[in-house]
Amino acid sequence: MSTPNIVELYGVTKAFGALTVLHDIDLTIQQGEILTLLGPSGCGKTTLMRIIAGFEATTHGRVTIQGADVSYLPPDKRPVNMVFQRYALFPHLDVFDNVAFGLRLKKWPKERIREAVQHMLHLVQLGEYGNRWIHELSGGQAQRVALARALVNSPSVLLLDEPLAALDLKIRHHMLAELKRIHQETGTTFIYVTHDQDEATILSDRIVLMNKGRIEQIGTPEEMYAHPRSLFCARFLGETNILTGAVRAAETDTTYVDVGPGTVKVPANGAAVAIGQNVSLAIRPEALQVSRLAPGGAGGDGVNALDGVVEDVVFMGSRVVYSIRTSVETIKYQETRSVDGIMLAKGEPVRASWRPDAAVLLTH
Amino acid sequence: MMKGRRREAMGLALVAPSFLFLLVFFIVPAVLLFVCSFWMAQAFKLIPAFTFDNYSRALSASGFYLLTWNALKNGLCTAVLTVGLSFPAAYFIVYRTRGNLLFYLILVSWFSSYLVRIYAWRVILGSNGLINTTLMQLGLISQPLEVLLFSPFATILTLTHIMLPFALLLLVSALRDVKKEYVEAARDLGASNTEVLTRVILPMCYKGLVGAFMFTFVISAGDFVTPQLLGGRDGMTTGILIANQFRTAGNWPFGAAMAFLLLAAFLIVYLGFVRLLDLLRLAPGRRFHD
Ligand SMILES: Nc1ncnc2c1ncn2[C@@H]1O[C@H](COP(=O)(O)OP(=O)(O)OP(=O)(O)O)[C@@H](O)[C@H]1O
Ligand SMILES: [Mg+2]
Repeated sequence: MSTPNIVELYGVTKAFGALTVLHDIDLTIQQGEILTLLGPSGCGKTTLMRIIAGFEATTHGRVTIQGADVSYLPPDKRPVNMVFQRYALFPHLDVFDNVAFGLRLKKWPKERIREAVQHMLHLVQLGEYGNRWIHELSGGQAQRVALARALVNSPSVLLLDEPLAALDLKIRHHMLAELKRIHQETGTTFIYVTHDQDEATILSDRIVLMNKGRIEQIGTPEEMYAHPRSLFCARFLGETNILTGAVRAAETDTTYVDVGPGTVKVPANGAAVAIGQNVSLAIRPEALQVSRLAPGGAGGDGVNALDGVVEDVVFMGSRVVYSIRTSVETIKYQETRSVDGIMLAKGEPVRASWRPDAAVLLTH
Repeated sequence: MMKGRRREAMGLALVAPSFLFLLVFFIVPAVLLFVCSFWMAQAFKLIPAFTFDNYSRALSASGFYLLTWNALKNGLCTAVLTVGLSFPAAYFIVYRTRGNLLFYLILVSWFSSYLVRIYAWRVILGSNGLINTTLMQLGLISQPLEVLLFSPFATILTLTHIMLPFALLLLVSALRDVKKEYVEAARDLGASNTEVLTRVILPMCYKGLVGAFMFTFVISAGDFVTPQLLGGRDGMTTGILIANQFRTAGNWPFGAAMAFLLLAAFLIVYLGFVRLLDLLRLAPGRRFHD
């Protein structure tokens, strides 16, 4: 009777008074994965996580954990543990007693508690910190204690609500790597809430992109990046160029769209489009090819190409990002800096082109 | 350099007024009173001396023990009742309501004076008072219950009523520091509501708890107005006795000695209470492992 789905949500809806913050969410979380709830502020990520932890009741819908309906179980009876954004470590207890908190409630024998706590403190690399008081810890250390305090209970699912938000950038990257390592060593399922797309793409097996209380798209980071299904998704994950235009012709697997003076050929996305319908195209900055145009030469935009002028050049370490002003839109072009690479200068006339399958057709 | 000095001056300026006030109205009188407790009094005159007579006189009188026991009993009962009643109310106000309406309603009862409230209870508890007339009309009793008024019961009831808003204020602000997050973290780690209370909330608002208890205790145990007006013959306390030494008997040294003995008794209660909380594992800053 073992199911690979450790958590299942069926039609979860949540309203606070007249305000509905989650609309009919269906979601399954698989054993051992890191699933990220990603989305802008206020989209309902924390609420969804609190529903899984048992701090909020659903207005409609069911939650199962390991196949058992937990919709009516209080938080202390659910086999999940949470890492709070501000850690919520108990200030009246030291590090050891914080980590031992859950095991003591379970009435474990003293010896076993000591072993488990020490093991966990070593796992988060705080083996020598058992006697520290909470106010004596740095932000990163407090974060690790919070992680240890939750993980020591061997939860079926570990819930993390923006656990790195309070840390500065450098520690954040280090902690992301740590989280990945700890995930690998424990094999625990992680549900991770963040509004930071970088965190989500670095960490996740799958991303659940949320928007206004609905799931916008679910997929691996690569899928989400390469095949956004909506304008919102294309914009939320990574830099992207959005071109808009009317459909000129639609074939079975190719759609032709008028963009400014030219025509763009793009793979059909399966959705029915009508001739003349306004659609959007998403093209990643690194998917463009840009070449110099001789001054005054070869005017006019061709298929999958836009002519323009370099407006801005920004160095980002190993990458260079150009802004190119075309007749329809200012688009971004990004290339890896190479030793012998050509450098475009501000004001240079250029042509940006792309392969048809580098663009994604978006109808909403 | 300059900056540090200015900062020091600033700090001094901030504490100076309250320190001065304490010095003039508390420390100096207390020291004088302490010195005075070793003096002698003859025919309403104070004679400087160094004698322990006042202390031994108080400690050898069985009445002193009885009245001190009455005072401590008043204080303890009032403190237990007050904290016991205001803690649940504070809990409700902090964790269960969003607004502060209930809080303000309770604080409003502060607006009537201390004496007015004492007399109000006289009216309620008296032989022709609300309780007795109601009980008589219901036919539950035929004679008015005299024990309602002029008894330790009346004293404790009134003192509890007087102290409740103070304790509530202290406990609400202590509980406000125990953010909901801590409660949720404990629940998440498997604690029942009772375990959250004993393992997280009480240790985290320890200072407020000790503060509310001791504040209520000291004021009620030392009070001499309420027991005098409501306590009756059995309700005599050391406080009344001390006040009498100063006001009518004119024996200041004896009064002072008894005041310091009472203070020592308070100190013992304080240490006992703190020890009790520690034994119940409600004190913070303890390690539960080796
Ligand atoms: N207890 C509550 N009562 C009323 N409204 C609430 C409550 N909790 C959350 N909300 C509302 O629900 C919506 C979703 O909140 P939630 O905290 O889930 O957002 P979030 O995605 O976690 O945002 P953030 O990234 O800012 O943390 C918000 O509009 C918020 O105002
Ligand atoms: Mg949130």
